[in-house]
Amino acid sequence: MTPYRFVPHTADVAAELRAESERGLYQAGVDALRNLLVGTSPVRSLEQRPIAVRGTDPTERLVRFLGDVLYLYDTERFLPDRVLPLGVSGEPFDPARHHALREVKAVTYHGAAVVPDGDGYRATLVFDV
Amino acid sequence: MNVERIDAYRWRIPRQGGMRTEGLIFADEQLMRDLEGDQAVQQLANVAHLPGIVGPAIAMPDIHWGYGFPIGGVAAFDEAEGVVSPGGVGYDINCGVRLLATPLTLAEARPRLRQLVDTLYATIPSGVGASRSDVRLARDDLEQVLRQGARWAVEQGYGDPADLEAIEANGTLPDADPDCVSDRAKERGKSQLGTVGSGNHFVEVGYVAERYDERVADRLGLGAATVTVFIHSGSRGLGYQVCDDHLDLMLKAAAKYGIALPDRQLCCAPLGSAEGKRYWGAMNAAANYAFANRQLMAHYARRALGTVFGEATAQRSRLVYDVCHNIAKHETHEVAGARTRVCVHRKGATRAFPPRHAELAPQFRDIGQPVLIPGDMGRYSYVLVGTAGAFTETFGSTCHGAGRRLSRHKAKQLARPRNILKELEAQGILIRAATRATVDEEMPEAYKDVARVVDVVDRAGIGKKVAQLKPVGVVKG
Repeated sequence: MTPYRFVPHTADVAAELRAESERGLYQAGVDALRNLLVGTSPVRSLEQRPIAVRGTDPTERLVRFLGDVLYLYDTERFLPDRVLPLGVSGEPFDPARHHALREVKAVTYHGAAVVPDGDGYRATLVFDV
Repeated sequence: MNVERIDAYRWRIPRQGGMRTEGLIFADEQLMRDLEGDQAVQQLANVAHLPGIVGPAIAMPDIHWGYGFPIGGVAAFDEAEGVVSPGGVGYDINCGVRLLATPLTLAEARPRLRQLVDTLYATIPSGVGASRSDVRLARDDLEQVLRQGARWAVEQGYGDPADLEAIEANGTLPDADPDCVSDRAKERGKSQLGTVGSGNHFVEVGYVAERYDERVADRLGLGAATVTVFIHSGSRGLGYQVCDDHLDLMLKAAAKYGIALPDRQLCCAPLGSAEGKRYWGAMNAAANYAFANRQLMAHYARRALGTVFGEATAQRSRLVYDVCHNIAKHETHEVAGARTRVCVHRKGATRAFPPRHAELAPQFRDIGQPVLIPGDMGRYSYVLVGTAGAFTETFGSTCHGAGRRLSRHKAKQLARPRNILKELEAQGILIRAATRATVDEEMPEAYKDVARVVDVVDRAGIGKKVAQLKPVGVVKG
């Protein structure tokens, strides 16, 4: 199963995520977000940051989780690698190893929806860039 | 969606379903054809469902699909019955544009243009993670930025007191309440003041290529071939976070106050509710941050002009105007024959007040409010003034820019076998950008022709063309 793919969107960037679990969706979202931020620059799991899962439904939880990951990048330059049970692992941005591609303003609710898909979930998300 | 043609530049979405009012779109036939398959028209109809909406839900000719409200959308709400919606303002609160007119002509500046563009690139941080090491805000400073906006910047020596008269609302929105801005938002904003950001934001050196109204152009300091500096940026990470924080609250508020939403992106709260007031205080604070941001950028643009052309050039570079295009404001308008206070949301739309409006500074009273419309980095931008027509038909609003035509992905695909930097340089436009990706994504073909958009507002009478500016150097994030 391809965890994420970017789909056409005129003004911003939209991604379609697929996973077997809600946490898998967070990982697919993190992978998409990291790709937008630094492309395929390799990111290692050297440090951890806590993120509390918040929200009343799967869509809200996904958007807020990724919003928290983006906040870590915006304020600490912390690049995410893996989703952990209580947060994310990753490493600080290193200009020698990471190629900053663009600024992502926000993970939006624009068209956001998590829906059951077979044995797992599918979600669409729009990143405001 | 049923849309009826009214005349050459106006289209109506009749009331249908739960719409409380009709929709009104300003566009010519070609722009309407471009909208086919876009969800923007449905989004405009959705806005017409919101409680307390006054007059039609309005779309400018640069309308396109946005978050909740379409970009290019204008909607006014009754102060007692109406709502405020973060989706009606946008993520980049008080994203806007500012124009400086230098005392130089293009011929005088041409020999040192490359040096100017390089100096601007070095002086005004742009791109991902842009921050200023020379402007570190202590917490008290940030509070003052959020309260006072551009006035704080001028008091700190970033610019001239006369600048304030040439800024919408004099660069300070008094309803700002820093206590409504989260610590997260403040953290995101504390080191970004005076920076461009990325995406479609820019600092552009241009010149006056055409003058449609010489009297007004002269009054604005836009003589033939005058070199200009155009700045496009907003409230940076602080504003994005304010929007994000309040979307969560507004979703709950809409449910709490029984507001039926045709789309959850239109989440909102009554203007008088605790949630509405909280967003209002935070949104105005973020707008003040954006005014201060552009004030600092203009200050550093003047420093760059001083470095390259001498101090006299810096001192004689005047602020033409600074205008918001993502904002909500309380204003007085005529509704059903009576002067009424309403809350006007402008999302990707620009205020365009007519001559003699009381809110304009004395120097604009007889010509109307300057309106700045950026295009793409390869063609042109426009200066307009506000009109009585805009005041009657669109709550004193007009368009804000070109609007994207191609997705970023499509633009990159198109640009891959080409060298956009070299192509633009061959046309006499120097580009400095942090990454090739930005240049490719922002290639001129990615945007609609802003001339078409501006012609519609001019012919429909909701803005009046004054001058066309052409770019000769662009700094992109």
